[in-house]
Amino acid sequence: MSEHDRFARPSRRGILKGAAGLASAGWTAAATGWVLRPRWAHAEGPIKMGIATDITGAIAPSGNANWQVAQFTVERINAAGGVGGKPIALFLEDTASDPKIAVGNVRKLIQEHRVDVVFGGITSAMRQAIKDPIVNRGRTLYIYPQLYEGQECTKYLYNTGPTPAQQCDRLIPYLVKERGCKRFALPSANYVWPQLLNKYARKVIEANGAEVVFEEYYPLDQAEYSATIGKIKDGKVDCVFNTIIPPGLQPFVKQLYESGFQKNGGVLSCVYYDENLLNYHPANEMDGLVSCLDYFQAVDDPFSKSLQEGYEKRFPGTKYLFTAGSASTGMYRGIKLYEAAVKSNGGKLGRDDVAAALEHASIPEGPGGGASIVPGHWHCKMNMYTAVCRNDGGKTRYEVIDKADMVDPREC
Amino acid sequence: MGAVAGAARRGGMRKTPGFRVLPAVELLTLVVLVAVPFVLGHRPELITLMTNILILSLLAISFDLCWGFSGIMSFGQALFFGVASYVIALVGRDLDFSQLWGTLPLAMLVGGALAALMAAFLLLGRKTPTSIFVAFGTLTGAYAAERLVAGWQYVGAGNGLSSIKLMAFGGYDFVEGVEFYGVALTVLVLVYIASRWLVRSQLGLVLAGMRQNEERLAFFGYRIQVFKALVFSLAGAVAGLSGALYSYHQGFTGPSNLGPGLSTTAVIYCLFGGSGTLIGPVLGTAAIEGMSFFLSDVEAVRQFWPVILGVVLLVVVMFQPTGLLGLVLSARERIGSYGMRQRG
Repeated sequence: MSEHDRFARPSRRGILKGAAGLASAGWTAAATGWVLRPRWAHAEGPIKMGIATDITGAIAPSGNANWQVAQFTVERINAAGGVGGKPIALFLEDTASDPKIAVGNVRKLIQEHRVDVVFGGITSAMRQAIKDPIVNRGRTLYIYPQLYEGQECTKYLYNTGPTPAQQCDRLIPYLVKERGCKRFALPSANYVWPQLLNKYARKVIEANGAEVVFEEYYPLDQAEYSATIGKIKDGKVDCVFNTIIPPGLQPFVKQLYESGFQKNGGVLSCVYYDENLLNYHPANEMDGLVSCLDYFQAVDDPFSKSLQEGYEKRFPGTKYLFTAGSASTGMYRGIKLYEAAVKSNGGKLGRDDVAAALEHASIPEGPGGGASIVPGHWHCKMNMYTAVCRNDGGKTRYEVIDKADMVDPREC
Repeated sequence: MGAVAGAARRGGMRKTPGFRVLPAVELLTLVVLVAVPFVLGHRPELITLMTNILILSLLAISFDLCWGFSGIMSFGQALFFGVASYVIALVGRDLDFSQLWGTLPLAMLVGGALAALMAAFLLLGRKTPTSIFVAFGTLTGAYAAERLVAGWQYVGAGNGLSSIKLMAFGGYDFVEGVEFYGVALTVLVLVYIASRWLVRSQLGLVLAGMRQNEERLAFFGYRIQVFKALVFSLAGAVAGLSGALYSYHQGFTGPSNLGPGLSTTAVIYCLFGGSGTLIGPVLGTAAIEGMSFFLSDVEAVRQFWPVILGVVLLVVVMFQPTGLLGLVLSARERIGSYGMRQRG
């Protein structure tokens, strides 16, 4: 805590509101919104960053992780002297896992706090709902941090999470060539991310000489998968490339495991699985799962390790982990890329000034390594890791088996 | 004055007292709403909030016309709201058209026609429907529509439709702000006047009678289901208008805009403010939307503000069945008086 107190001092209002605990963590309960104000000031005022994420609702665990990573990242930047001499102030609005509420709350960031940039949104539904109030009506820069289905090619909207190409181009050849998978099944939740991801995955599967036995979409809350499991057995499927998500996920994985799929040599692969997701299942069901993401906690580079340590020090014992699947790595990357852009253009904060600088922005380090924006394509090159889950006596961990350097997003 | 005429018809009974609460509340509300852009013009986020309140008030009024004035328990107002919002979004996307003189009437037509269709099924059957049947019928309609839309790729499925073309008049585009507020206020005032006229007319008197004792009215020879269907369709048109303005204002519409969730919200707006008063739903909408706007930003309750809001609503609906307005409004005035009978 003490390290933190050095640069964030509670305002009088914060104390008056009795929010002493929160205030000591740098929080001031302003009249509206939650604001993280830097301790030191600049004559022209701080750089205002808006965070719009799901603090409440169905995907609150990911949203809270996002928010903590945003605080962590900004505090480090401020402690190191800010951006071009200016500190960063953070403004949070809750998107409540509900696009209808979100469009209203996101506007507060733009109309009330007049932020220079907005980060956030986790699901694709959320991104599509809030991009218009931010980018078109709000004339503000927007950075979207989550892995997603691709095809978001909107001016002033930068995507800092992995795309289908980044997640499939190394993973699927590995599954086919190294693991000998020839017959794929694509069971999926029925919404836009699985549909577009599968379209890309199918292309790569077929290009590698394997085939797709079936591609099916289920309601998000389906709990009974015996028909699917039957098809997997009958179709002699040797790789299940899963895009079912919670709450349908847990019953599916359980039923698949109990059918003996893995025991008989089948491979379960799922490209949004990070350390958080492992806790959704018993360890034995997760043994052998293959995932491909921009970062795993097992990644062995000193900077990633130091980031992880700093985060744990800032949020001791937190249940919201700094992982790739919950948009946290994309959040870190986005904030640092923005910082790099503003530094390189001499501190100008206008939307066009920052966007022009972002086109060539890159960061040398980050969780899993550096990243750079591909000019004219609104997406980032980044390192991608393929990892297999290991079960060590009831405890799960990822073992990184492949690293690809600066993979091209191949979007737009 | 209708009141005087009504009293006179009853044979020179005592006149109603001079001061009446309802018109005073209505006038006060109007003054406040007209003053908003001048007082809050420098706070765009509050203008946005107020515009939303005006638009959702239309939805609440549409429910009040059903429940408060005709005794139709409609849990499907969001269906008309939502379908109109989608139609307007699609007309903008596929036909590149968003002139308000064309799209707003279209939205009313869509909402009204859909409600008429539903009324034909639910109300005009051979057997007189019970209110439970109507409540579940409308609820099911809204639920089915939400699930349907959530799986339909052409209308964006679960993602809904975003980046809706801005509402325009000639070459002028309305983004959220004082101008949009002006449009919303004008629409609300027009709808309000029309609704007020409707429920205080002779038709309104029939509706009031129906609400009290349907059977008796039926024995008088009124085809009460036809009256209900008529009001239900008009309410559908108002809900459609609300949905169109909402999707233009938010720039987004999604499956939850036509589901039971929003339908229930409309019920709560109305009950919270005081049903059967028309102005009550407007005040209820303002109170609830205002509360959720400010509560969601208070640090101390940030994790559970929806719960607090829920408890407040529960308490009011349980212990103050006539709503906030019931605190200042007598039952006599709430029931009101009706326009002159046409001779001929």
